[in-house]
Amino acid sequence: MDMAIETFNLTKKYGAKVGCAEICLRVPRGQIFGFLGPNGAGKSTLVKMLVGLLFPTSGKAILLGRALGDIEVRKKIGFLPENFRYHDWLTGQQLLEFHASLYKLGGTAKKRRVDEVLDLVGLAGKEKQKVQTYSKGMRQRVGLACALLPDPDLLFLDEPTSALDPIGRKDVREILVTIKALGKTIFLNSHLLSEVEMICDAVAFIRQGKIIRQGLLEDLRTGDIQVEMKIGGLTPALTAALASLARSIEIEDDLVRIRVKQDEDIPRLAALVVTGGGFLFEMNRKRSTLEEMFIRTTGGGEEIC
Amino acid sequence: MLTMMGITFREGLNRKVMLISLVLAVIFLGLYGTGVHYAGQSFNEHPNPMLAAVVYPQLLSFGLYFGGFIVSFLAIFSAVGAISAEIETGIIQAVITKPIRRRDYVLGKFLGLGLFLALYAALFFIVIAMIINIKTGLVLDGQWRALGLFALQPVVLLAITLFGSVVLPTIANGVVMFMLYAVAVIGGMVEQIGWLIGNTGLQQAGIVTSLVMPVDSLYRKIVHLLMNPTNNPLGALQQMGPFGSMAEPSVWMVLYALSYVMIFTGLAAYAFGRKDI
Ligand SMILES: Nc1ncnc2c1ncn2[C@@H]1O[C@H](COP(=O)(O)OP(=O)(O)OP(=O)(O)O)[C@@H](O)[C@H]1O
Ligand SMILES: [Mg+2]
Repeated sequence: MDMAIETFNLTKKYGAKVGCAEICLRVPRGQIFGFLGPNGAGKSTLVKMLVGLLFPTSGKAILLGRALGDIEVRKKIGFLPENFRYHDWLTGQQLLEFHASLYKLGGTAKKRRVDEVLDLVGLAGKEKQKVQTYSKGMRQRVGLACALLPDPDLLFLDEPTSALDPIGRKDVREILVTIKALGKTIFLNSHLLSEVEMICDAVAFIRQGKIIRQGLLEDLRTGDIQVEMKIGGLTPALTAALASLARSIEIEDDLVRIRVKQDEDIPRLAALVVTGGGFLFEMNRKRSTLEEMFIRTTGGGEEIC
Repeated sequence: MLTMMGITFREGLNRKVMLISLVLAVIFLGLYGTGVHYAGQSFNEHPNPMLAAVVYPQLLSFGLYFGGFIVSFLAIFSAVGAISAEIETGIIQAVITKPIRRRDYVLGKFLGLGLFLALYAALFFIVIAMIINIKTGLVLDGQWRALGLFALQPVVLLAITLFGSVVLPTIANGVVMFMLYAVAVIGGMVEQIGWLIGNTGLQQAGIVTSLVMPVDSLYRKIVHLLMNPTNNPLGALQQMGPFGSMAEPSVWMVLYALSYVMIFTGLAAYAFGRKDI
């Protein structure tokens, strides 16, 4: 498959401190890829290396078929930084024209594209205002507009909706889905898991600079199924039998929460309860949400040092 | 690179520093013009060609000296955070991730600011030269070369300040550059005193500082160009005092200043090329 991003043992150290370590990622073209992790995990560090702000300590990466550091390929890469600060003494339109020139757009193509992205991010009518006078959310929108200027094949967004209201977030989601439909690739750093869940095809979890899990969202979900059962007459023998099938088990009075690997384990659990002499009052399959997955895989705040 | 140059130039025009330096320039030139005007008037009323031949050039060098001061301040102020402040605010992040080479970013900054400063300095020089010419009738030799050197002064400061802006935070850079500039100014005076009293130690100290920061020797060269002492018996007298130039810096000094500009701009580009942002 044609990859938009491939990294090989990409590592960044800040002195002795690890920013991110031995990152190996493969993001196929046409995907929305979510890069998730707690604060300070190294998400921005990775993105900054990929867009050329930081130089890797070791390892390499390939973007759209070109080695890291290639200048030409950047004509097709958009980037919205985490702190989205811009030349705020320019008006929105002047700012976008400046960034369009940096992308080597010119003449009528520039004008047209500036108008298009202004429209796309919902800032049409505000372009004559100085960026200084924009609200935080408007600034983030203008930043997104800058990133969209070259009609990028690969778009890096570092927390693109951190300053947006719910409607703004929905707008951005829609923009991203539209772009994806055009075959573009989006690399998304985010904390907002419910959003990621809505639009991402694949995700990777990073923690303390290391990738601890990655895959298609579907696969990650099915890799882990939670079943909640209400069981009467629970005996230690029955519990042990259930535990032998489960990846994890939690018991609260008559409520049993079990995690299993595959769908086929669900009827087996039911059979165990019945043959073990228990009374099965209720049985629910829970879809694992990304948030649970996040908390579980990234260790729920507990530190491993 | 042209885009960067354009935005830098526009930014220069936009900044408060520009406004302040313009106001300063107007105040300074206004006072200076008034001073020269009255000096000229009193000589017209009580003609004394001997004294005038000494005082007029002194007035000119005084104007150029403090004019150079203002231009140099503007150079340091406008370049001190040219790159570091963009890194500190984060503005740079969306800029250098574009299809633009890092060295073009630095060169664009250098050319944009350089053009801006050189124009400002040239304007300053022309106004001073005009005031002197109209009010005192003094005819200046080598005006155009002097103008070039006067415009080169802020560019020399710009080059090293830009380099500082890559390797140092804004505040630290400001402190270092003002210290360097002070060293050049004091070194120039020390050297002047050295020639006056014939002390080679002081002369050498002056030469060393002008190698560290050649701005002051450019000024001394300008004074020489404008008031060529060889065809003027009063030359030696004109060149006395802190604003004069008893020993003419050689043409090598000018070449040195030019290479200084190129070396520090090159270093800035090189250091920025491998900097983590
Ligand atoms: N310039 C720097 N110098 C030293 N350490 C740094 C620097 N930048 C980041 N770090 C460290 O690298 C680690 C990763 O930081 P990074 O900014 O990549 O985290 P993040 O995942 O983006 O976090 P957040 O969710 O808060 O944005 C952190 O421990 C941080 O302290
Ligand atoms: Mg971050």
